[in-house]
Amino acid sequence: MKCRRCQKQAVVALPSHNTAFCADCYLLFFKRQVEKAIKDHKLLTQNDKVLVAISGGKDSLALTWQLANLGYDVTGLHIDLAIPDSSEKAREITTNFCKKFNIKLKILEIKNEGLAIPEVKKRIRRPVCSVCGQIKRYYFNKFALDHGFTVLATGHNLNDEVARLLSNTLRWDTAYLSDQGPLLPAENGFMRKVKPLYRLTEFETANLCYLVGIEYGFTPCPYSSGASFTYYKQLLDELEFNQPGRKLQFYEGFLKRGQKAFKLLEQKQGQELNPCPECGYPTSGELCGVCRIKKMMGVMK
Amino acid sequence: MKVFIEPENKEIELPRRPKTVLSLLNKLNLRPTQALVIRDGQLLTPDRRLYHNDNITIRLVISRG
Repeated sequence: MKCRRCQKQAVVALPSHNTAFCADCYLLFFKRQVEKAIKDHKLLTQNDKVLVAISGGKDSLALTWQLANLGYDVTGLHIDLAIPDSSEKAREITTNFCKKFNIKLKILEIKNEGLAIPEVKKRIRRPVCSVCGQIKRYYFNKFALDHGFTVLATGHNLNDEVARLLSNTLRWDTAYLSDQGPLLPAENGFMRKVKPLYRLTEFETANLCYLVGIEYGFTPCPYSSGASFTYYKQLLDELEFNQPGRKLQFYEGFLKRGQKAFKLLEQKQGQELNPCPECGYPTSGELCGVCRIKKMMGVMK
Repeated sequence: MKVFIEPENKEIELPRRPKTVLSLLNKLNLRPTQALVIRDGQLLTPDRRLYHNDNITIRLVISRG
C-alpha cells in the first residue's frame, strides 16, 4: 500500500477515508482533522487559555500534543483517582509525557477531597463508572473556573461519541441527545467544553501516539470491565468494517440534522438547573451529585 | 512466528505463518482498525507480507475506563 499523498510506503491504512498514509503525511492528516473540527464548530481561538483533561490514555495525550503543536496555550489537568495499581501508573505516564513535550501540568488528588474512588465504590449502589465520571466532570469544571481558563478540552474521540450517541438513541434520552456534540457553550456555571478529536477514531489516535513517540497507558481501569460502552464500540466496529465511514456519517448527520430538534424539545420540557446551595455547581436537584456523594462519605455535613 | 499481544502482555507462537497482516488479524478475530501491528518498530498496513522469523506486536486500541 502506498501513501496517497507522496507514494512512499504507507504505514497507516484508513478504510473509512479510503486511503493510506506514510508517517509524515499521516501526521498532516491528523492535524487537518483537528483543525477542521475546530474551524467547523468554532471550538477554540488562539487567545483561549485551554485546560486539557489528561487521563494518561492515548486520546487525552494525543489531544494535548496536537493542540500544543498547533500553538494553543494548553495546560493539562490530571486527576489522581487513587485506584490501586492503575492511578499511580496513569499519573506517572502523564507526568513523563508533560516533561517530554514541555506541557504545563496540574495534578488534583481526589483523596484530598475525601473521594478516593475505591472508598466511594464501597459505599454506593450504582455502577462506579458513572459516579467516577460525575466526580471527574465536576472537578475538571471547577478547576477550570477557579483558575481562569476559558475552555476545557477533552480527548473524546469518534468511537466514544458514536457509542454515546447510540446509547442515548437506544434510550431516546432527549436530555443527553440535546447537548451531545463537540461544543458545549459556557452557561449556568458550566465551563465551555470542547472535543477537538471528535472526527478521529481511537485507531487514529493510537497511530498518532505511536508515530510521535507518546507513551500512553493501555491497561484498562480495573473497575471498568463490562461497561456497556465497550459493547457498543464493538458493535459499531463491525458496522464500520462492513460500511467504512459510517460512524463519522452517523455522527455528523446527527449534528447537522438531529441535535437541534432535541435541543428545542429539551428547552420546552427539560428540567431547570439551579446552583447547588453548597458549591454553586448547576443541578436539577436540591444538592448537586458530587455534594450528595460527599455527604454520604461524611466529608460534608 | 512470535506474536506479542498488548495490553494483555501475552505471547503466542503461530506454527503456521499467516501470509499477510490481514490474515494474522483474521486469525486473532480482529478488524484492521482494532489494533496496531508493529514489526521492528514499524507500523504495518493490512496488505504487508509476513515472514517466518518475524516478531510481531499487536497493540489493541479499544479503550475502557
